[in-house]
Amino acid sequence: MIVGERKPFDEICDRLQGFKKVLILGCGTCVSVCMAGGEKEVELLASQLRMATSLKNGNTEILEATIQRQCDSEYIESVLETARSCDAVLSMACGAGVQLLADTLETIPVIPALNTRFIGVALGEGTWSERCRACGNCLLADYGGICPMTMCPKSLVNGPCGGSSNGKCETSPDRDCGWALIYERLRKQGRLDKMRDVAPLKDYSTQLHPARQVNEAYVKAEMEESHTK
Amino acid sequence: LLEEVGLEPDRVEMFNLGASDAPLFASACNEMTERARRLGPNPLRKGGKTA
Repeated sequence: MIVGERKPFDEICDRLQGFKKVLILGCGTCVSVCMAGGEKEVELLASQLRMATSLKNGNTEILEATIQRQCDSEYIESVLETARSCDAVLSMACGAGVQLLADTLETIPVIPALNTRFIGVALGEGTWSERCRACGNCLLADYGGICPMTMCPKSLVNGPCGGSSNGKCETSPDRDCGWALIYERLRKQGRLDKMRDVAPLKDYSTQLHPARQVNEAYVKAEMEESHTK
Repeated sequence: LLEEVGLEPDRVEMFNLGASDAPLFASACNEMTERARRLGPNPLRKGGKTA
């Protein structure tokens, strides 16, 4: 999932200065699961903002809503009328959700309430860890299902550097060496011979931004259906 | 949360008590009453009754 964290309260307050009616819009998918921007977090932030506004004798009206996904237009449509009645929208989605919402609303400022951190996994309650750099050229099959691009701070694809010591990374004694993890995984799978493979140069051409993906079959079917109508 | 807003965090506290813990309940009530008196009226309730 995409993992985010809420921005500092003071920063959010600064960004909202001058707006008299604000919609706080949560996202019910990734950032909801990582407890940063779901319905509960919308309620908490709204309560905080109302208290802060009241303490400063302000009169900003705070509205609340949470939709299933902010990165999908069909869900945004359900809150368009409310959003357009406001001076600004405070989005608690990831950066993708914020941008689609801003594209849709155009004339109404959309302010991010979160910092989008990474694509990761839940390690335990309240702890998430990055696992994927979305490089567009997945090589996990070669590394026992552990991504050296992500788990090694140097993104080395042909074994560890000289800084690997007792399974730990030179950047921090608390951080596992990604290549020690890969070695151990391949050993458990009986595939240590994979360590001898020399990986070709990583194809970074797959990381052109903004990346775009089209499902040709789906687009073609949609076009054919519209022509038959 | 309250501290971020500018309120004293001491204004709210959750106590876990059993149904038979009357002395603890009374103690918690006294503590919170004393705390409320010390902190003064809730600034969010302007014009409301004072403690």
